[in-house]
Amino acid sequence: METEIRLSHLSKTYSPRQRKGLFKSEVRTVQALKDVSLEIHPGEIFGLLGPNGAGKTTLIKCLTTLLLPSAGDAWVHGYHIVKEENLVRSSVGCMLMGERGLYWKLTGIENLEFFAALYHIPPADRRRRAREIINLLELQDLADRTVETYSSGQKMKLAFGKALINDAPVLILDEPTNTLDVPSARELRAVVRQLNGQGKTVLYTTHIMSEAETLCDRVAIIDQGEVIAMDTVEELKASMGREQVTQVEGVISSQASQAVEALPGVSRVAISAVNGTTRLTVVAENTRALLPRLIETLTAHEAVVQHIAPQEVTLEDVFVAKTGRTLAQDTRVIGHG
Amino acid sequence: MVELLYQPSLRSKLGVLLASARMRLITISRYRGQLALDLVMPIVFAAMPILLGRATGGAAAADNFLRNTGTANYVAYMLIGSSAFTIVTYAFWHTGYWVRWEQETGTLEAIYLAPTNKLWLVAGVALYSMLRSLISATAAYLIGSAIFHVNPFQGELLIAVAFVVSGLVPLLGVSFLFGALILKLKQANALVNLMQWGVTLLMGVFFPVAVFPPMARVLAWLFPPTWMVNGVRSALLGVGFFFGRWYRDMAVLWAFMLIAPLLGAWVFARVERNIRRNAGMGEY
Repeated sequence: METEIRLSHLSKTYSPRQRKGLFKSEVRTVQALKDVSLEIHPGEIFGLLGPNGAGKTTLIKCLTTLLLPSAGDAWVHGYHIVKEENLVRSSVGCMLMGERGLYWKLTGIENLEFFAALYHIPPADRRRRAREIINLLELQDLADRTVETYSSGQKMKLAFGKALINDAPVLILDEPTNTLDVPSARELRAVVRQLNGQGKTVLYTTHIMSEAETLCDRVAIIDQGEVIAMDTVEELKASMGREQVTQVEGVISSQASQAVEALPGVSRVAISAVNGTTRLTVVAENTRALLPRLIETLTAHEAVVQHIAPQEVTLEDVFVAKTGRTLAQDTRVIGHG
Repeated sequence: MVELLYQPSLRSKLGVLLASARMRLITISRYRGQLALDLVMPIVFAAMPILLGRATGGAAAADNFLRNTGTANYVAYMLIGSSAFTIVTYAFWHTGYWVRWEQETGTLEAIYLAPTNKLWLVAGVALYSMLRSLISATAAYLIGSAIFHVNPFQGELLIAVAFVVSGLVPLLGVSFLFGALILKLKQANALVNLMQWGVTLLMGVFFPVAVFPPMARVLAWLFPPTWMVNGVRSALLGVGFFFGRWYRDMAVLWAFMLIAPLLGAWVFARVERNIRRNAGMGEY
């Protein structure tokens, strides 16, 4: 099958300096990507999911030529990311750093025209292309105002518009709905679908599982620099097999969590903080049979349970089942089943 | 495979250069107070040594200055020095500081995503810097001449202009080197401040290079703006070209014109690649 983006054993190692006080530091090796191979087909919306620090942005930076990989190869639209970097850049429309990628002293239209010049669009076409994008994103009222006067969400929309300026066959969008309110995020996803309908291939990173579920044809889950699962959303959920998920919220000590993890039939437990309470995500084979023992164990360990319910399997549960952690930023590992 | 809509050409690359210069001009036009300060700065900078000369040298100041520099017109000497310094310091702040400015505004990665050799962008910034500094330096020289009662149009004006124009290109090369240094060190303010004083000394803003100790004199001769400012002074005030004739000094400046931009661009590209190999352009 034809591929639009192909990664073959791609690895990236950083050597950041770790501070050990005011004057002391040591160089540490961090492997941000480990032997990643995947293929994205033309016309596909491909989701890249993972918690913060999983390696999503490093992968995107390699694909967009901002970073040189340490090993392996990758091609975008048939062009090699190291040997044909300018052709790769011409083939990609990328939204990477959100609102920070704009010149705040320029107006929306001036920003788009400037970036149009960088993509070698002839002067006569720059304004026309910029206006098309302004109209597509319904930013007409803001087009002639300096970006510094925009709200955060409006800046994100314009940054998304900037990614469309060269009408590239591949769109790479890194968390594009960050800071957007719910209706604006929905509108942006609708535009992504519309562009995909016109034949554009989309690589979309997010940590919002529901977004990936509604938008993406296929999904890769990435954790600690490795692709740990890759398939359609339905297949990924089906990969849970007979395993089901129960969520428990309340005041729950770590001893209580460990006791739950030790229960027969429990394969994994992930703990996270939600709105000032603790949430346990319990993956087990037969949730209904487990429920009485689960409540009994928690009560025996003086947990105050506010909410307990079996859940429909989501992509987040798939992540929990694979890693023993949730996607939330403040997660920590307590079980590896 | 879908054909790419836009292919680079020499014309589109020049379009990048002009768009880059235009973008900076639009941005600075939204800080109007800054433009007024551009005119005042070189005059204030020259006024200090001029007034110091009058205060300490008294009536003999001009004669003493003539003995050391070859001209009694120390007011015009200082004004030319400070105007040339404006051109040099703007090149450092605008062109050398370009990378840092883009890093701070968060747009550096955005422009590195585009299929454009960054030297076209920097050349656009340099064009903007040259336009702004030439207007500012010329206006300041004329206003300063009116304030301190000196004739700004004495000597060989055309040769002076030729030295300024020829000095701009090697200055661009030195700015690339400086930009590469900032890209590597990720710190600009202290570096620019230090460089400003170093440059003031090296190019002889307030005194002739001839009064330097031998080693410092060699360093000064390796710095292209030294030749530019001495060329302008020699053409306008007759202080004397380093090699006796204007065209010999101009030949040295033209040699710098060939070497400095190539060296600067090469070093900049190497540093850029090195950074992409490690943490990336956005990290600062």
